[in-house]
Amino acid sequence: MLTVVGYPFALFFSIFSFFQVGFNIDDFKRNWENRKLVTDTLFDPKWDWAIENASLALLETIQIAILASILGCFIALPLSFYASRATNQTTFTYVVYKSFLNFIRTIPDLFWAMLFTVAVGLGPFAGVLALVMFSLAIMGKLLSETIDSIDLGPLEAAKASGAKHTQAVFTSALPQILPNFTAYFLYIFELCIRASVILGLVGAGGVGRIIETQRIFLRFDRISPIIVLILIAVIAIEQFSVWLRRKIL
Amino acid sequence: MSVPKQPLNQRVLKYVITFLIIAGSLWSASGLEITPERFLTAPSKVWILITAMFPLDLSQEAIDRIVPKVGESLFIAWAGTVIGAFFSFPIAFLAANNFSLNTFSRVTKQILNVIRAFPELILAFVLLPITGLGPLTGTLAVGIHSIGTLGKLSSEVIEGIDEGPLESIKSSGGSKLNELFFGVIPQVMPTITSYWLYRFEINLRASAVLGVVGAGGVGAELINQLRFRDFPRAGTVLVVTIVMVLIVDAISAAIRRRIIKGRDIKV
Repeated sequence: MLTVVGYPFALFFSIFSFFQVGFNIDDFKRNWENRKLVTDTLFDPKWDWAIENASLALLETIQIAILASILGCFIALPLSFYASRATNQTTFTYVVYKSFLNFIRTIPDLFWAMLFTVAVGLGPFAGVLALVMFSLAIMGKLLSETIDSIDLGPLEAAKASGAKHTQAVFTSALPQILPNFTAYFLYIFELCIRASVILGLVGAGGVGRIIETQRIFLRFDRISPIIVLILIAVIAIEQFSVWLRRKIL
Repeated sequence: MSVPKQPLNQRVLKYVITFLIIAGSLWSASGLEITPERFLTAPSKVWILITAMFPLDLSQEAIDRIVPKVGESLFIAWAGTVIGAFFSFPIAFLAANNFSLNTFSRVTKQILNVIRAFPELILAFVLLPITGLGPLTGTLAVGIHSIGTLGKLSSEVIEGIDEGPLESIKSSGGSKLNELFFGVIPQVMPTITSYWLYRFEINLRASAVLGVVGAGGVGAELINQLRFRDFPRAGTVLVVTIVMVLIVDAISAAIRRRIIKGRDIKV
């Protein structure tokens, strides 16, 4: 069934999509002359301007990512136990928590940011809340699936020796998933650093705010050094997290 | 009976990590001027926004505007994924160290890393003056970013193949090309296809936000309705997007499971 229906359908849908998004060679050629607008300025970076104006905002970006990933991951820790079959026998609460986690995962990070800027006002706090939801969603999914596959033996042993359910989970399930939790946390922290860069585009704080104002005036000569600074920061943080992961795990 | 103590370095590590986490969050919170009160008052403020969205604006005019935009996001995501899959497939073979020359593989991998480092939104607004306001820009941004991520994932799949089938093809007189078509591709195709679908799910979320910079899709609709304080219509945009993402995720996850696990064989 998959081969007979699937491949032709995929092909048809691809062609249809390309028509829908408007692949038009003539337009492309006409716009191609505009490339000078970008290329002339993009490769003429104004370093002094960027370092002077963007370093504080970049620091703000990193702070948003740190705070949000820590909060999001630690909120996700208890929720994940409720959203796993292995540690939650009550079908009703299991379904509720699982669907909650699935639901927040469907809303993209920037949509969260837009919603929170309306709800709590412009600024980094909205960005923090947006990334809390973002990291909560990812951590909840990854961790609850890890809990699904834990070794149930220790849990049973703890219960057999008289532990209550919560105690059993604390002493036998939690230690099993802590290494995974740490690894996921570092991974999510990296994702948050990347995501926090663009939050400013909707007014949720960080370096994106400066990118947004320069973007409107097509000042790519000011944007390109900021992008390079971001790349350096992201790569440095990734290296640090790789090092830490090797140290801990 | 006493519980044996953990080794000293592990205990120290535990304290260091706890300290890092607390210090990190305090430093960040003070730098951003975020106080606990703001967290406590946030839920009520969010609740006000949610109640403002209901009842949703389900008028014919709103639906006629929103559904095509959500569809546009879907097409951007699919077309972008196709671009990513089409170009990343050959590149992945160049990047896999068991297939291409060592230096070649290292250079290709570095190029993929650089491509991956740029978020779709930044690619989108750099492309915007060249490809114009509209879904084409979003498609290209999503596509270019996908080449980076899919290239990396696919090359890792190719690096992890079982060499046995290749050897048996070689020993029965097959050429290098035969090895590729009958030894490698059948082995890697299921995993790589499921990565394509997985990327499509991610791209769907990415293409939804691209409208913020004017690169097509539903994002522009949401940010405009929120700016004009038309909350019921913003709510409709959100709900339609969520429903679309849920449906696509479910279909894509079912196909991925089918590809990886194969057909159920009844005995």
